[in-house]
Amino acid sequence: MPTDLHVAHKIASPPRVKRRKLMVRGTNVTLLEEVRKLAVADLQFDIEFEVLDFLTCQHRAALDPLNYDIYEQCFHNLDIVWYWGALQPIATERIAEWDNIGNLAKAGGISKYTWQGHGDAPVRKLYVQPDGMLDQQPMPQISMLPTAHNVDSFGFDRRLFGDEGPEGSSWAWLLDRRARGRIALVDEPAIGIFDVALAAEANGDLTFQDIGNMTVDEIDSLMALLETLRQQGFFVGSWISPDQAEELVRTDRVSVQSMWAPSYGNLGIMAGDFCESVPREGYRAWHGGASLARHLSGAKLDMAYEYLNWWLTGPAGAIMARQGHYMTNQERVRDYLSPEEWGYWYDGDLARCDLKDPNGKVVVRTGQRRPGGAYRERVSRIALWNTVMDEYNYAARAWNSFIATLGPARP
Amino acid sequence: MNQKNTKSGQEPLYETISQILRHNIASGHLPEGLVLIEGPIAKLMQTSRAPVQASLRMLHAEGLVQRFRGRGYLVGPPNKACVPIRRSLDEFDVEIPEASRSALVVRGTWLRVYDQVEAEIAACQIFGEFRVIETEMADYLGVSRTVARDVLSRLNERGLIRKGASSHWLAGPLTAKTLSEKYELRGIMEPAALRLAADHIDPIQITTLRAQIDQDKLKSAAALDDAFMRHCLSRAPNSALVELIGNNRLLLSAVDKALNGLGLPADTVAIEQYRTLFDLIGARQIEAATEFLREHLREMSHKSLVRLKIVALVPESESLPRYLSSV
Repeated sequence: MPTDLHVAHKIASPPRVKRRKLMVRGTNVTLLEEVRKLAVADLQFDIEFEVLDFLTCQHRAALDPLNYDIYEQCFHNLDIVWYWGALQPIATERIAEWDNIGNLAKAGGISKYTWQGHGDAPVRKLYVQPDGMLDQQPMPQISMLPTAHNVDSFGFDRRLFGDEGPEGSSWAWLLDRRARGRIALVDEPAIGIFDVALAAEANGDLTFQDIGNMTVDEIDSLMALLETLRQQGFFVGSWISPDQAEELVRTDRVSVQSMWAPSYGNLGIMAGDFCESVPREGYRAWHGGASLARHLSGAKLDMAYEYLNWWLTGPAGAIMARQGHYMTNQERVRDYLSPEEWGYWYDGDLARCDLKDPNGKVVVRTGQRRPGGAYRERVSRIALWNTVMDEYNYAARAWNSFIATLGPARP
Repeated sequence: MNQKNTKSGQEPLYETISQILRHNIASGHLPEGLVLIEGPIAKLMQTSRAPVQASLRMLHAEGLVQRFRGRGYLVGPPNKACVPIRRSLDEFDVEIPEASRSALVVRGTWLRVYDQVEAEIAACQIFGEFRVIETEMADYLGVSRTVARDVLSRLNERGLIRKGASSHWLAGPLTAKTLSEKYELRGIMEPAALRLAADHIDPIQITTLRAQIDQDKLKSAAALDDAFMRHCLSRAPNSALVELIGNNRLLLSAVDKALNGLGLPADTVAIEQYRTLFDLIGARQIEAATEFLREHLREMSHKSLVRLKIVALVPESESLPRYLSSV
């Protein structure tokens, strides 16, 4: 074909326009198929979810920044991913619901009287400062749009520990001698280390000056304690994904372990015996969100902002609620939940009917009450946040070699 | 390698250079009035300029060379009026005595080996604690155990390794605490050195540096920090302080190199800060420059803590030299 004709042909009939697509990299906490379907229905483009485990997700988000448009994980992952230069700031003026986002993320606590918690409270990583660092001084640009969040504890078998009673349970149970041989831990260092640190401090074995930013000596002591307990046969092993944790419970291999929502709805016949703890020392909290990849610009960037804004329109928040996670702009979520759902998940009321998870499975029975109560009660009791502390490099290496000697817990 | 050579290999390089210059001044190979400049001498001796600088200062103190209204020194005692002779050193048949020559050669291999080991040992520390095995090292480098031992004791002096309880050499781990402490030390020593150096900094050099930043010839914060050390802090007339500063920076720049090798993006904010710092020094606003430096170091300290967290993602390098064994 002559060149001029070829060119003319191109101009006359452009190649078939492929439907535009947004690539989202994240974890199974927020990247649910139900969320994706609703988003695609509401937005004018396709969306592809790449679901990774926690550590792989953080790693790939930092080191492979060109192959995603949106990164969804947690604020504590930003110390790695943001400073690797993989992300770009979000202009809050382009976020329609920004003013309706709650103060837990924006100011550090739901009221100025609540304790912020040790470690990486999201507000300390939220605002992009003029020198490119992240800090809590409010600025017009943010690192991550705050979305789903929750406060976590651990799961325990009431047949062994009995009911919690008015004082609640204690993190000490996670390393309790009564559960020897039936304890499992999550492998992710920014979470697992704090579960056992809270336990070791609660049972009096160790004290930390600042549990959210441990010293090398404190880390050494903690790892030595874990090694001793390992040798005494305390642990079944570690788990990577929540379904592994659920399987450990269903097969009756554990009496106490790291665990969080929505696993409590997936325990089968063990549901009545394996309970979500309300620890008297307070919760270990986490805060998720969505960030923009550094490479985005022009029309692709506009699509990414559309997606971020969609997250705050309500439907995604309703799905999050049905698996036990909170959203930052709750009033929009309320529009998409039944009064019974809102009452149970957010207000801590007794369930007035059976409630279903996002897949349609009944996960809450009539008459149940959410452990820990209402949103305000639960988030007012944050002991610490999932954290990538200053000595993270040292701690994560020590933790990973401990986890390696522990081996995976095989149900 | 015999004992004598090792000994002369250990003596400071500036001492060897001084001996060569003394010999040539005494024998008349370098005539009175000849302008001595660091660069050509360093080239002739195949060394860096720093030891030549030190050597010329020493000869000046000994009264063998004099300062004059120009760059460098003139051959001749301080009070004697000499006419400057500006000619290439190549035109004079500089004699290098055999002992000094072999000292330079030994020094050369020793230094080459040393630089390699220093870089490797500094870089490994982000991955944890390592035992340094002397015999393996000698074997790996193809040098005698004597040289390996010399290298290790030099590393010890510079604070990169230490003796463990069982008398083994240990390196690392580089923790957030070590980093913070090293930056705290920088914050104490470097502003003080800058103040001392103020009157000895070459303004033309600073102008050149500024031009290089504007022309994007100095593009990394690390290169700018090196230039700041070389052209500003090193001019402080307190060599003990300058040496301490240099040693304290060793590990920090090794971590930097390791991280940049992983593909971390350039720190444009830091580059801007060096530009401002050189502007202040160029304008002889030394008080302001000192304060600015302090603030800059405080920020760098914070940034380096965050960068250290990133290291947790990096698997322990498989290419670690075999003389290092993980503790």
